[in-house]
Amino acid sequence: MKSWALYGITRKLTEPFKKLEENTKKMDKIFSKSLNIYPIDVGNNGDLNFEMAALATPQYNIHRFGIFFADSPRHADVLLILGRCSEKMIEPLKETVNQLPEPFSIIIVEDGTDFGISARNLDLPNVIAYYDKKLEAGEILSVLLNITGDRK
Amino acid sequence: MRLLGVFEKDSKELLILQDRNQLSLENINDVKEDFANYTMLKNRDKHIGSKAVKGNGVFNFRYGPVTGGVGDAGVFNIYTYGERILSVDIDPGYKKRNIEILIKNTALHQAVNWSENVCSNFAFSHSCAFLRAVEKAGNFRSDEVTQRIRIIGIELERIYNHLHVISRLSKGASQNVLASHLEGLFEEALRTNNLFSNSRFLKHTNGLFIDKNNFKKLDEVALKVKNVEEKFRELYEHSLASWNFIDRLYKTAMLDQKKALEIGVTGPTLRAAGRREDLRVYEKFYDNFKIITKDKGDVLARMQVRAEETMLSCDMVINQIDKIKKMRQNHNKIDESSISGFGMGYCESPSGLVLYSVNMNKGIVQDVYISTPSVFGFKAFADSFVGYILTDFSFSFDSFGINFADCAR
Amino acid sequence: MIYTIIGLYILGSFTGFIGRKISYSMAIIASVFSFIAGFEAKFTGNTLSAVFSFLPGITVGINIDSLSGLFLMIAAISWTAVSIFSLDFGNNYRKRMAVFLNLSMLGMFLILTAYDALTFLSGWEIMTIASYFLITEHEGAYKEAFQFLAFSELSTIGLILAFVGLNASDGSFALTKIHSNSVVFLVFASLAFIIKMGIVPFHTWLKEAHSKAPSNASALLSAPVTLMGVYGLVRVINITGYTHVWGLLAIIFGSISAFWGAMEAAAAKGLKVLPAYSTVENNGMILAALGLSAVAYSFSTKSTLYEFAFLTAVVLSITHTIAKTLLFLSIGQAKEQLHAENIDNVRGIHKSVGKIPALGILVSGLSFSAFPALLGYVAEWMLLESIFQSYQFSSILDRVVSSTGGVLLSLAMGFASFSMIKLIGYSALGYHHEKKAEPMPTFFMNTAELFLIIMIFGISFFASYLFLGLGYSKFVIGALGVPQGWLLASAKPVFGVISPAFFVLVITALSVVPFFVYFRNKSTTKKVTSWNGGLALKEEEYFTANAFSFTIEHILRFIYMTKEKVNKNRSYVVVSDVFESFYKYIVTFIKKISYSISIFVMNGKVYFYILYILIMFILIFVVFGEMFA
Repeated sequence: MKSWALYGITRKLTEPFKKLEENTKKMDKIFSKSLNIYPIDVGNNGDLNFEMAALATPQYNIHRFGIFFADSPRHADVLLILGRCSEKMIEPLKETVNQLPEPFSIIIVEDGTDFGISARNLDLPNVIAYYDKKLEAGEILSVLLNITGDRK
Repeated sequence: MRLLGVFEKDSKELLILQDRNQLSLENINDVKEDFANYTMLKNRDKHIGSKAVKGNGVFNFRYGPVTGGVGDAGVFNIYTYGERILSVDIDPGYKKRNIEILIKNTALHQAVNWSENVCSNFAFSHSCAFLRAVEKAGNFRSDEVTQRIRIIGIELERIYNHLHVISRLSKGASQNVLASHLEGLFEEALRTNNLFSNSRFLKHTNGLFIDKNNFKKLDEVALKVKNVEEKFRELYEHSLASWNFIDRLYKTAMLDQKKALEIGVTGPTLRAAGRREDLRVYEKFYDNFKIITKDKGDVLARMQVRAEETMLSCDMVINQIDKIKKMRQNHNKIDESSISGFGMGYCESPSGLVLYSVNMNKGIVQDVYISTPSVFGFKAFADSFVGYILTDFSFSFDSFGINFADCAR
Repeated sequence: MIYTIIGLYILGSFTGFIGRKISYSMAIIASVFSFIAGFEAKFTGNTLSAVFSFLPGITVGINIDSLSGLFLMIAAISWTAVSIFSLDFGNNYRKRMAVFLNLSMLGMFLILTAYDALTFLSGWEIMTIASYFLITEHEGAYKEAFQFLAFSELSTIGLILAFVGLNASDGSFALTKIHSNSVVFLVFASLAFIIKMGIVPFHTWLKEAHSKAPSNASALLSAPVTLMGVYGLVRVINITGYTHVWGLLAIIFGSISAFWGAMEAAAAKGLKVLPAYSTVENNGMILAALGLSAVAYSFSTKSTLYEFAFLTAVVLSITHTIAKTLLFLSIGQAKEQLHAENIDNVRGIHKSVGKIPALGILVSGLSFSAFPALLGYVAEWMLLESIFQSYQFSSILDRVVSSTGGVLLSLAMGFASFSMIKLIGYSALGYHHEKKAEPMPTFFMNTAELFLIIMIFGISFFASYLFLGLGYSKFVIGALGVPQGWLLASAKPVFGVISPAFFVLVITALSVVPFFVYFRNKSTTKKVTSWNGGLALKEEEYFTANAFSFTIEHILRFIYMTKEKVNKNRSYVVVSDVFESFYKYIVTFIKKISYSISIFVMNGKVYFYILYILIMFILIFVVFGEMFA
């Protein structure tokens, strides 16, 4: 029986990634080296949460692009708002935005359902991308790669 | 006898009861038995768990609604005087979307869509339970192929959910290699779903009649599932040899059978506490099905049940695909607008029983009551977590495979 | 000078019946004079003396020699601060508090300056009784005051026996010279003084009394009153000379006491219970340092360790007296203005009460956790250096005792930091409770606190001058780029060095750039409340001080005897001090016995009383007749 370390290095799960061109506003170029994202669930039906889990899988290996999940909005460059806002989540969402360090950007991804309130109508600052349909993990990665412009 | 739901209709309080595969709707005055989970079910949208604890130095360690750890909108009010958990009170209201109200007066296909949107990771189970209730209401049964395809859907859903839960557990225990590989399998499973149904979460597939011809890539699906099973088996056996991993899960968040039955929790949680109960045994087209149980009732037992179920589900998917390929399907179109009446249907979702009670009138949904496994799961979590310490949070919570979307509807 | 001081204190206590302010002002003046007197005696070498013959062969009076001078100076700093503080604080209490404050200081003055045992004893009793009344000034503190009195009288009995022993050995009551090696004197005097210092297992009164008394009295009790114990011990050593076994016992008792005090402080939740246990810890350290000095002396006088260890005890005493006075005064002010007893209920003193009391708690607390640039840092460095140097000892017993003691002392320092961080974090700093402090005049309170804060910084910065002034020029050197006279060394030849002054300078220089950047970017810094999952914290969601220490209480549950009481709607953790339970047991036992005896003896029959008196009379005659025959 091999140790976990040996088990790990003898298998490669990462896949090459071809990003799709997305029409988004761009962030400062400095974020192309390191981008910390903080996903916030504001009341989606769950699949965007699971896509986030999928985004963290080795197939996408987002760390190679310098993208990381932040543990707190205070460490985040990008706030990913997932879903449409339930009534009780409006205040926590606004507080989360308030906690983001400058400069920050907000991406809104909805799940294609029509319950709740669209976060677009909440007058949030620095919204650089908005999708009213559900995105899959690969598509979200594409968006993240697009907002920071070209990267090596 | 298990109480699965409480609701009011025409100022009468009705109870949904389940005994093996028999579901019944009873007026509260006609039921003699007392159910320990009655109050919890009545307040399931406001509070799940125990009351607040007071005392010197006791405070509410509120976790949520926005957290990096759970990533789901909901609040855990954890009462503690330090590390020790004294009481957990969960507020699922942050995710309340009132789907039971939205679903009213909608046509059947729209209603199926709503039921899938209750909770995406149990989407297929929800739509199955809903459609089965509709079938009961209309007093007919779907054809065999449709039912077998539903089994594939349900089992595929089980596979990716279980993989997700186990990968979360291993991540919580800092088993990073294991976690990464399981996450990889999880993504693989999602892709398999996509291959099967053109949706990573098995949506927009279920119906009263599912056309076999829509599924062109069943062979590839079977191959992928086989691959997932092989890899998972290897990883799972490997993981059981890791002391560090097992030690974190063993005897954590214990839930004994008596308590589990009182709460009314079903699914792997109940089976991990030693109860041989899985409603799939009553279904006609499950071949070679066996119930997997463990008796410790801790996080490890729940993980073992899920792991063994994953492998079993893989076998069943491959088996069903084999059978479907050989079958012929008659196009007996069902007239949706003729369905009227009341019916209840259930489905054994990855985390327990999903139940729909539906009133139909000429193909339009009149009202619906949804009983979801997460409501019971949250209560089970809240009760089993008491007495442990905060560090056990992630294991305890993840091991139940529950989420707020399912709970709050 | 001496008469002036005594006169002022007596005048002060009388004027207490007329007006508080005059009385406290008298105390301030007398305390300042005391400091001057001490300074004169210590540094000019003049011994101030007023001695006269009381009975044939017995000389009584006042005599301020170098040693008295030193301790008089230390105590006078505390007295001055407490008196200034009381100008404002005393308004909330009755006039008689001023009387007893003056008397208590007079008692201590007499102790510190006593030429002979009789004066010493009268000072001791004046101090004890005045302190007793000071404690009772707090409503409902009779039980605690009585406990204080009981232990104090126990030490008085010890002292009387000790002085009898002293007199028996060479017929003198004088305290000023080396002249006796009476074991009786050594044992009983040491016992009396360690009771006063609150050394474990005689510490339970201290916690009770100090936490219940009014805060100025707590400061007085905790700092100068326990300093009397230290002074007493040093006097004892001065009379009998160093004894090896005494040293070993002192290390054992001292280190256990330090550990126990620090550990109990870590679990303490009462606002003044925590500093009270910290007193037990600090006095333990002082005792251990004295013990180390004694052991080192018996080992070899060639090594400088015995001198350094003694100096350590002195610096520890200075630190403790000043910082503890400051801590009690600052906390007292907050407690008085917020009407709260627990650490949890005074969060955010810096906002609700004021910046200066908060700074007072911060500085004294950090000093007790040996934070660099503060006096406590120098003192604890010295203690550790003394322990490290015990490697020189040749005897296995000495080594085992000193190293075990060293382990306990180091643990005590760690626990002390833990408890002080808790105290600072939950009282001085921390989130504001939105509690309003009761308005009261604070000018003099703040003045007293500021005075002590400056002392803590100042003495640390000029620690080398303190060393030189105390006559230990061999421990002040210059090396490693630090000019001559600014580097403290722990031995000669050099063992370890430190320069508090240069530390401050270097840190200040290094923090110029960060501060510059901070102030430049201050306008662009985004300020938000703490992140709490997207919702503002409610009152019941704040992390409590109890929760802060629960981990330690759980890990060390076999020492704390931690019991988690988890009830349906009310849960809490109970931590107990074993010694307290022991005393409680004794008290119930004695109560029972005395009750049965009283029923037997005092049964209301006259002839029984007469019989009793008769028997006692005969017994006394027989017993004492035998003894003196």
